[in-house]
Amino acid sequence: MMAFYFSRLVEIFPFFLKGLWMTTKVAFLSLIICTLIGFILGMIRSGNNRILKWIIGTYVAFARGTPFVVQIFIVFFIFPEWGLQLEAFPAALLAMAIMGSAFICEIVASGINAIPKGQWESASSSGLTKLQQLRLVILPQSMKVIVPPLVGQYVLLIKDTSVVSVIGVMELTRVGWVTVVRIPEGLMVFALVGILYFSISYPLILLSNYLEQRMAL
Amino acid sequence: MIEFKGVNKWFGKLHVLNQIDLKISKGEVLVICGPSGSGKSTLIRCINKLEPIQSGEIIVNEKSVHDPSANLTKIREEIGFIFQQFHLYPHMTALQNIMLAPVNVKKISKAKAEKIARQKLERVGLDEKADAYPGQLSGGQQQRVAIARGLAMSPEIMLFDEPTSALDPEMIGEVLDVMVSLASEGITMCVVTHEMGFAKKVADRVLFMDEGKIIETGTPTDFFDNPKTDRAADFISKILTH
Repeated sequence: MMAFYFSRLVEIFPFFLKGLWMTTKVAFLSLIICTLIGFILGMIRSGNNRILKWIIGTYVAFARGTPFVVQIFIVFFIFPEWGLQLEAFPAALLAMAIMGSAFICEIVASGINAIPKGQWESASSSGLTKLQQLRLVILPQSMKVIVPPLVGQYVLLIKDTSVVSVIGVMELTRVGWVTVVRIPEGLMVFALVGILYFSISYPLILLSNYLEQRMAL
Repeated sequence: MIEFKGVNKWFGKLHVLNQIDLKISKGEVLVICGPSGSGKSTLIRCINKLEPIQSGEIIVNEKSVHDPSANLTKIREEIGFIFQQFHLYPHMTALQNIMLAPVNVKKISKAKAEKIARQKLERVGLDEKADAYPGQLSGGQQQRVAIARGLAMSPEIMLFDEPTSALDPEMIGEVLDVMVSLASEGITMCVVTHEMGFAKKVADRVLFMDEGKIIETGTPTDFFDNPKTDRAADFISKILTH
């Protein structure tokens, strides 16, 4: 029986590759969006505007303090009631963006705050604008602190894409659920799912370790 | 060139600058001294608005620095600031440190900025260190690069906040030498320092501060030989016996 299921699994393997492709697409697009929004929020959060800081702080607390599956339900089922109706794929991206940017915001803000105040003073006393100070003096130094945990966060976010299966996005995890109905060999099916996830996250784990060592010097 | 009009500043309850009135004229070399916590660093940090003030006015080149509508970039272009801890940018070479503001604030071409930067490095005797990173330089060398960085903007005013206090004794001389030669070139200088040799040699005026107030001012000879107040006399005897 095992052998039979295995040959069935090999038969429908292209279906898994499609799921892997969808997972990669959700992960890749949402990582780009998260990074952009996360950096912008992080820069504002490390700044001086108290009202903006408070708003972002609240947003970050909510996004970090509630389960992702709840957030994705809110985006997919509650947002339409407020007038924002989205297909499953864009809804998944939006939910990922909300959750991921909150984590990245914190990484970026703490990286910026790790730079001594004297660097800001030195840059501002030479006449650089606030944005130039950040871009030319502060961020290049912060990157050392930011990049290793950022890549680690990417790994977590890639794995979190499995949650978007709950709203019907046909990514890797969903492919697993659908398959296991027809091939009731759970261990075999989800081992395959796991291996495929691992194939995209492991290179990033290696990269994260490498960067951590290099940046520590 | 620089004028303080009734300037007051508090850090919480601490009155760090108490009704300061002061005029510094073009080309003047002013040395500011006083016990720690007397407000002398704060005084010069207010000149380019590294610190806000709560009342009064500071005029630099006919521009009111603390006026919210003031073009701070323009004002700061004309004021070089040297920190006790140098604050060089650690991710840039000496040359890049010096070129940063000319290229990005004054919008000078890179080639021209590099030429200026090399000139200024030579000026402080460090032309062979152009490609060194701050971490590869001694404290004295870092401070000289910081001075070259300030000079590259061709400022009319240079402010020095205890420029030699963080240096090992054997490196103080090389930094002071650069400052002495600057003083003879007509740049307006305000120097917070306890280096009395420097004050006697180049200062046009010495200003003594305590508890946020200007206690007395005078020529170096007057101040050091015949202080008018007990507090100044006490301070001088302490730094001389030290």
